[in-house]
Amino acid sequence: MLSSRVEDVRWVDSFDLPSVFDPRLPLYKEWHDFVFFDRKRDLFGLLNFAIHGNPYDASRGYGAALAFIVPPDGKVHTALELIPLGDLTVSPYNPDFVSKKVSVSYLADGSFNIKGEIEQVSLDLNLAVASPPVTMSKIAADILARNQATLGMLEAANEMAQIWDKWVELPNLDVVGTLRVDGTAYAIDTPTGYQDHEGGRFDWGSVTGWDTGVLLSDPSNVGEPGKVSFLFYRYGPDGNSQYGGLILKTADGKERYFASDIMKVADSGEFAGPRGYLPGVTRALYPDYKPRIPETIAFSAADKGDSISIVFTPRAVCTIVVAGQDEAETTFNEMYCSAALQAKVGGEEFYGNIPCWFESVRPKGRRPTKIGH
Amino acid sequence: MVIRLRHYLDDLLDLLREDYPRQLEEIIRDARGITCLQTLDRETAIIKVREKTIRVTGAARKSEINLRIHLSRECLFRILEGRQTLEEAINAGDLTVFGDPEVLLSFYKVWERVLSLARTSPRFYFLTYRLRR
Repeated sequence: MLSSRVEDVRWVDSFDLPSVFDPRLPLYKEWHDFVFFDRKRDLFGLLNFAIHGNPYDASRGYGAALAFIVPPDGKVHTALELIPLGDLTVSPYNPDFVSKKVSVSYLADGSFNIKGEIEQVSLDLNLAVASPPVTMSKIAADILARNQATLGMLEAANEMAQIWDKWVELPNLDVVGTLRVDGTAYAIDTPTGYQDHEGGRFDWGSVTGWDTGVLLSDPSNVGEPGKVSFLFYRYGPDGNSQYGGLILKTADGKERYFASDIMKVADSGEFAGPRGYLPGVTRALYPDYKPRIPETIAFSAADKGDSISIVFTPRAVCTIVVAGQDEAETTFNEMYCSAALQAKVGGEEFYGNIPCWFESVRPKGRRPTKIGH
Repeated sequence: MVIRLRHYLDDLLDLLREDYPRQLEEIIRDARGITCLQTLDRETAIIKVREKTIRVTGAARKSEINLRIHLSRECLFRILEGRQTLEEAINAGDLTVFGDPEVLLSFYKVWERVLSLARTSPRFYFLTYRLRR
């Protein structure tokens, strides 16, 4: 699907449940990620609602609801609850993820309602879809229309197509409601919400990682763009090849793509801030596990008169270790960062210190590979 | 309804036989010769690991027991949910373990293996939470 409207969210963002005859059913996984940052409250939130394993086998498949919250005191709050399939409803007809304790419902007015509890995190949020959904096919078509295809681009696209059945994002959500963490309530009201929805039928052992993220920008602030997002996807037998890029969208909807082959990525130092680990049993299994997170990560590129520089400073990190079938493990480092942006696109200048969600994924146990290398 | 410790251990062994036979063989190989007195709150169970079998019983000769583990449900779930490490639980006296170092090391290997499996098996996860709810 190359073009879409807000009205398409109901089916574009629905769950792509595989056929009951699919031989890869046990490898099925699909999820919603909701991210937001309320600047007045100084609160970051990442919520994930997932289904893992055979969705027709209540003893093998399961749902999961996850929260990574950083309130104004900067402490990390993490929560994860597994949901029996018997208590969970998802369907290919809408984006709903409904369980006894926590539910995501897509309403007739074009907004999501997230209500319920994930351990000590209590949610009552409304997230109104403010701009149309964007699919991976649309991004790929736009990039190919404006840029020459390269070998790296095609190889990465081929590998992604083998792994992922679905990738959709809702770039702008207006988030309003209440979030309660360990008994403290926070009223949320921010236009900087974001959602993505991915799924596929693969084992975690076959994934060599990626770095992705979104600057949660507010174009009503002087200097801030409509959106900045990036994805560097790792591929190849050793996972050492990578391709990707960064897209800056201006407030009036023009997009500028900076491919990874013209981008410089550098990191420095070691992050010393607050960390959380999920699932909780990770701490029991690996009490000394502390994956390397840089103190700063810098992206820069200049091309045909346009330029961009972003310095990411992680503020809090949640490390999620997922286990695959053959005991292969993959580490997700979910980072709440502040991003210092300076860019010039089509003569227009963009700047600001913008809150950001940055996700870095690597196979666990492999020597850490630097972002962009 | 909260299930009892012996019921839990029996169901866990059935689950391992059905879903993880290879890992169960490895667990038996690692823990061969161990007779463990497991206490959870006020409940007790004996886990006997022999040449090719593992069994849960209600009693054993005192001289036969070479490993004793005591903890509460509260402590177990603090560990499983990452709110307390094993080291912290032992230092706080919430988890007590008695046995020869060699026996302790082999059982620690089993514990690691079982915890690791718990992450990939929803049956295992939901069964374990029946110990609490």
